Amino acid sequence: MTKQNANWSPYDNNGGTCVAIAGADYCVIAADTRMSTGYSILTRDYSKICKLADKCVMASSGFQADVKALQKQLAARHLIYQHQHNKQVSCPAMAQLLSNTLYYKRFFPYYSFNVLGGLDNEGKGCVYTYDAVGSYERVGYSSQGSGSTLIMPFLDNQLKSPSPLLLPAQDAVTPLSESEAVDLVKTCFASATERDIYTGDKLEIVVLNKEGLHREYMELRKD
Amino acid sequence: MECVFGLVGNGFAILVADTSAVHSILVHKSNEDKIMVLDSHKLIAASGEPGDRVQFTEFIQKNVALYQFRNGIPLTTAAAANFTRGELATALRKSPYMVNILLAGYDKETGPSLYYIDYIASLHKVDKGAFGYGSYFSLSMMDRHFHSGMSVEEAVDLVDKCIMEIRSRLVVAPPNFVIKIVDKDGAREYAWRESVKETTVS
Amino acid sequence: MKLDTSGLESTAPHFGTSCELFSGFSAAPSFDLPVTTDFDGFQKESIQMVKPAKGTTTLAFIFKEGVIVAADSRASMGGYISSQSVKKIIEINPYMLGTMAGGAADCQFWHRNLGIKCRLHELANKRRISVTGASKLLANILYSYRGMGLSVGTMIAGWDETGPGLYYVDSEGGRLKGTRFSVGSGSPYAYGVLDSGYLISYNTCIRYKYDLSVEEAAELAKRSIYHATFRDGASGGVASVYHVGPNGWKKLSGDDVGELYYQYNPVSTSTVEQEMAESSST
Repeated sequence: MTKQNANWSPYDNNGGTCVAIAGADYCVIAADTRMSTGYSILTRDYSKICKLADKCVMASSGFQADVKALQKQLAARHLIYQHQHNKQVSCPAMAQLLSNTLYYKRFFPYYSFNVLGGLDNEGKGCVYTYDAVGSYERVGYSSQGSGSTLIMPFLDNQLKSPSPLLLPAQDAVTPLSESEAVDLVKTCFASATERDIYTGDKLEIVVLNKEGLHREYMELRKD
Repeated sequence: MECVFGLVGNGFAILVADTSAVHSILVHKSNEDKIMVLDSHKLIAASGEPGDRVQFTEFIQKNVALYQFRNGIPLTTAAAANFTRGELATALRKSPYMVNILLAGYDKETGPSLYYIDYIASLHKVDKGAFGYGSYFSLSMMDRHFHSGMSVEEAVDLVDKCIMEIRSRLVVAPPNFVIKIVDKDGAREYAWRESVKETTVS
Repeated sequence: MKLDTSGLESTAPHFGTSCELFSGFSAAPSFDLPVTTDFDGFQKESIQMVKPAKGTTTLAFIFKEGVIVAADSRASMGGYISSQSVKKIIEINPYMLGTMAGGAADCQFWHRNLGIKCRLHELANKRRISVTGASKLLANILYSYRGMGLSVGTMIAGWDETGPGLYYVDSEGGRLKGTRFSVGSGSPYAYGVLDSGYLISYNTCIRYKYDLSVEEAAELAKRSIYHATFRDGASGGVASVYHVGPNGWKKLSGDDVGELYYQYNPVSTSTVEQEMAESSST
């Protein structure tokens, strides 16, 4: 048996959409739970959200096998960190670790599109957005995955926070309250599900704030 | 586009190179010196991919210096040329250096000499040679006007003729050129021929 | 009978790679390569996943008071704008800046790596690294990866013991010393404005206007970026301008180019509106 043929690829795209919004003292990370390949839906209940540390949550779409490998790698690195330092890794540190982890596979990338949400050292919400090989940027909100092109313009319209590059600097924190942000996430996923075949079934929302982490779910269209 | 040429005169060798650093349609720089002083009595002019050009000529320069440190005597021009060719030839079957080289030198025993080495590692001892788009003009001009035992004045005159021809006939002509000479007194910069002046930090 | 202990081993190779965890910060990292017969084809495919910040305008130039560095902030994937807030001017250390054109991750990662190397040089030699040295460090790394699909077009600008320094470095291994560069798809437009403000006369001898004030230079840079974003669809967002002087770099401005348009082209009230205003007042 030949190991490879001309159009063999080590990658698949399992679709899915992730969104994260940072607030003054909270962070909302959300993703749908559909997993598909081509036109087939593989499962309607697969979580794309992974808790990396107490105040750090990653949502990933793309190729499930690579996402899984990436999550395991980060979990292992975090375990080592805890053994060495006896504390949880901070969200900005995890953000750079994720960047480096992705770049170390620059010539055989993880086919995963990630957003990292959490609370920074001052307890402010933070969102980091990535490409597949580890270029990253801290933003006020972001969307990644198959529905990102539908959701991102909508979020820009609703939240348009001033660019962090502006001088004199302007406060970039999303003006929404926590419950408003959760509602916004629900709306944009409901909309994306209408037009993206890789998004649907169920929405998983993780909210991080000073009380800790809590999850909620919302049903999406299943067609 | 790139123009590198040179010739041997009476007791000296002269090298000329354009000084443009080009990327697609952009001229990033018009005072890039492409002729390296290899050691006290050798010049190496290179054309080709910018990365390879710098890395390779610096590599040769450092190895020629190393030889002199170890053995107390410098390599002859012929030896340096053969060493350069050898390095290009070994690289050719691995990851080739895309560089064409004119190597000029002056030795006490043999006098001035000029070597033509291209990226596929062929080596010729010549008394006039050229690379790049400019070679079509400069080669024929040197064929017409060159004679053995030229004086420095005659050679510079010929070289200037070549530069003028390139500037007037070549569509993608570079604006500036650098001229270097090697003779019994050593290798040195002779002159710049500039039609666009780029300021250096004063 | 031999015991099968494979189940005891962790699936994630975190101990196998632990050496890189402790010592890999200073050494150039090693990378996984795919098991494939057609590496070039694989590269071509996988490059599609890389967010190419190819559409870019960045520039830098040396003048009397130091170096000015400026850039836009847009990242696009084909026709889609994937970000309007990319930090294309990377702060390597308080005296040195790098610019970003080409692969976003390639630039970001190798500049971070260069920052580490520069700091180590500082600790080992009790003095800051020169711009010449730093740029060569980067150029040599990139040259060692040539042909493997890295895409970097960067300028290293800074201030060292010799004064202001500016180098252009790219992933083909090219490294040029100069006084003014522009990189990216918008660079021809930027050069157009930059040169016209920079050079006094175009006939016979072009003179280099070296003694600009910091304000003049910053305005020239901002204008150049603005005009590039105006003509180049792949450039846009915020025009950031930095200045590097003897006391290190300082960010001078960051302006949304959408708003710069109205600054440079003030909206004058039309005659009809004026007439209406006049008639209402009478």
